[in-house]
Amino acid sequence: MRLVAVVATVAIVLAACGSSKSNGSGNSGGATTTKAPKIVDGGTLTVGAEQEPDCFDWIDACGGSSWGSWMGQYQTVPRAFDPIPQGGGVLKNEPGVLLTGMPTFSATPVETITYHINPKAVWSDGVPITCDDFKYTADQIANGANIYDRTGYTDIAKVDCTDESSPVVTYKPGTAFSGWQALFAGGTGVLPSHILQGKDRDALMKNGYDWSGGPWIAKWTKGDNITLTPNTKYWGDQPHLAKVVFKFEADTAAEFQAFKSNQVQAIYPQPQIDVVDAIGSGIANANTATNANTAYVEALWLNNGKAPFDDEKVREALGYAIDRDAVVKQLFGKLGVDHAVNSINPFAIEDYSDQDAFAGYHLDLSKVNDLMTGDGWAKQGGIWTKNGQKAEFTLSTTSGNKRRQLTAQVVQSELQTAGFTMHINLRDAGDLFGEDLPKGNYQASLYASGLTALTPGLCSQFCSKNIPGPANQNSGQNWTRTNVKELDTQLEIVDTNPDAAAEKAAGKKGDEIMATNAVTFPLDPLPDILIWSKKVVGPVQDNSILGMFWNINEWGCAGGVC
Amino acid sequence: MLTYIVRRIVYSIPVLIVASFLTFWGLRIAFDPLAKYRNTKGAVRTLAEQRKRLGLNHPLFIQWWNWFAKAIRGNLGVSDRTNNPVMGEIIHRLGTTIHLIIWSTILSAVLAIGVGVYSAVKQYSIGDYVFTGVSYIGLAMPPFWFGLMAILIFTTFPVTHWHLKSPIFYSIGLHSTGESGIFNLDYYRHLALPVLTLTVQSIASWSRFERASMLDVLSADYVRTARAKGVPRRKVIFKHAFRNALIPLLTVMALDTAFLFGGLIITEQIFAISGMGRYFLESLTAGDAPALTGWVVITALFVITFNLLADIMYSVLDPRIRLS
Repeated sequence: MRLVAVVATVAIVLAACGSSKSNGSGNSGGATTTKAPKIVDGGTLTVGAEQEPDCFDWIDACGGSSWGSWMGQYQTVPRAFDPIPQGGGVLKNEPGVLLTGMPTFSATPVETITYHINPKAVWSDGVPITCDDFKYTADQIANGANIYDRTGYTDIAKVDCTDESSPVVTYKPGTAFSGWQALFAGGTGVLPSHILQGKDRDALMKNGYDWSGGPWIAKWTKGDNITLTPNTKYWGDQPHLAKVVFKFEADTAAEFQAFKSNQVQAIYPQPQIDVVDAIGSGIANANTATNANTAYVEALWLNNGKAPFDDEKVREALGYAIDRDAVVKQLFGKLGVDHAVNSINPFAIEDYSDQDAFAGYHLDLSKVNDLMTGDGWAKQGGIWTKNGQKAEFTLSTTSGNKRRQLTAQVVQSELQTAGFTMHINLRDAGDLFGEDLPKGNYQASLYASGLTALTPGLCSQFCSKNIPGPANQNSGQNWTRTNVKELDTQLEIVDTNPDAAAEKAAGKKGDEIMATNAVTFPLDPLPDILIWSKKVVGPVQDNSILGMFWNINEWGCAGGVC
Repeated sequence: MLTYIVRRIVYSIPVLIVASFLTFWGLRIAFDPLAKYRNTKGAVRTLAEQRKRLGLNHPLFIQWWNWFAKAIRGNLGVSDRTNNPVMGEIIHRLGTTIHLIIWSTILSAVLAIGVGVYSAVKQYSIGDYVFTGVSYIGLAMPPFWFGLMAILIFTTFPVTHWHLKSPIFYSIGLHSTGESGIFNLDYYRHLALPVLTLTVQSIASWSRFERASMLDVLSADYVRTARAKGVPRRKVIFKHAFRNALIPLLTVMALDTAFLFGGLIITEQIFAISGMGRYFLESLTAGDAPALTGWVVITALFVITFNLLADIMYSVLDPRIRLS
């Protein structure tokens, strides 16, 4: 799992003018579909995009933008697996149209995966997609320069292309990768070796490319838009729309106005207060849907290595001092989302987690008193004090994010009632994620982590070996400095054991251990919000990993005009 | 004058060097260029690669020197964020920004001079009071607020309340999909609101400046003499007074035009225009030191050039001034 710090950098100012009732608002299941009698071909759909990608070389360090993947990568790069919504927000990894079906998997004597490529699969120039493409992609990720994430590829011993239509991936003896379904999937996909082999891949891809192995061909006009046109050689479902234009519009308030004035017909805004209010009031001629069962968890991250949170009892007391449900209700109640999440693992991988692990932590001031007094604290002037030290700490969070500021203020107020003093420190995202958290220069922080692929595992964030330090060249991501031996054991099973049942059991156990040790506290699921014009027809549906536009080839415009 | 220009150019070189060093130094201290690479499981190897690629193994001064040695040959380095040459990215963005600067300068100049001259000639008239009031409102309005209000009034309102199929003026980018060029209505419908947002404060301040300058000149002895000699009022105003009243305003305009880069940061963000202002914001968010240093150098070049231009214009318009 890669950590994605979800940072909203733009404050939203919204003046809502419309008042007509929206359709689907408040749906927390996330699987809203606009029924249309018939989707006619043609029409141009313009979408407001909140971020322009830094580059189009998706495996390079510059290619990590979620919006970039939603608009460009997932539309053009073929994938072995896709996380597909199953209803109720549940996602399941399913073989993509690139394959004929589920690969053959064997864990012994060494981990081996045999893929079966769909014989119809071709690149946009008509050249078949073959094992050479799998081999080239694996080699580039394992051995290329500036790679964003090599997870799962560095232990591959070889990709055997004896049969060009059936790549066989074999791991090195003694190694295993439990998240093998993430190979050649969302984060990477499969790249065209006949175009890139022996050339500078990054130079050929980073500013955009005209090849495709997906339903669309993407053209990136820097600074303005990404335009998708159908890939006529695509062997799956051909797009209905003649063109999709993703217009870059980083200012969320202006983006809303662009939607209301029909300059764009679909947006996927961050869950900010004003957006929630606007949906609550209704947006004219629009469908809205929200999905609370997402791939994200916004949490209060506690620095377990720094006072006062190096004391487990203080951490536990904090858990009983906050009414997390009330916080969530205040933030997203208008969307029908009013319960805190109770696992650090997002709902998207619920099978590998105990989604009720933290449910025992709810507002209970008598428990706070018991825990704090039992640990030698006493109240002085309404604030817990021990050995002259007050129960006082600073919560660091990103500046320019109204939702986070409101969350911090609500938590601050609740904690004051419980006898804790909390200061709020608004930090530039670059400083918070680049300096404060990796270096441990914080006591508590508020931000979100999320999945970019449907692979479980929190070891990178909670195993003791990943506490930043000399052993990992200070690059470890266990920024909470969690150091619980039994937790290490469980999370390492999730990362390495190819037996799904064992992984799931270890994931659940890991959640329980995290809750018991109060290593940190999950707050909300950071709901996905979809807003689209009533002129847009087709199966509009959230995919909390692949985004709102994952099946845009199945969308259309009513009457062929958007 | 040539000596003066050469000397000014020579003087500006240390300014550029110091500005670039301070920017580079400040950014490298304030931001961790490796921050985004720390979020990967293969971080150890990636970090080493990136550290080498970005030249972070060297002391800070050497990092800057390596950047500077290339910069004086026109190579502003490679963006930490996009891996692309900064010079190419800036040239691309500069083209868009120059559109905005040219149009906003023309609009500001025409309106401000017109209003300023009218207000001075018709001092204390109802029109003068109206323009004065409007100017103060213009000066008081923050561009981001004005921009959003303009969007509400000219794009959202006509569509949501008058049920127009498309807004009167557009609020994203400089062209609609499939459109290009600058000789079509689509371009001007996109250009109107950002230019208005960018110019509202310039119009207000320049018109006040022109009014004061014109009043000064109109009360000068030579104007009174001209009128006493029977020169027609219109001729006195436009031939004798106007040209002299324009001199100080042109200096202010030249300086303000250079500083438009600052206003562009907000305006380009609101109207999704990919110019220098948005480039600055994107680079700042990413802590992209080469890109931001390049931005500062190019912006400083513009400020210096427009300063020089102001001085030259001053001497051309007022022959009494000798640049030596």
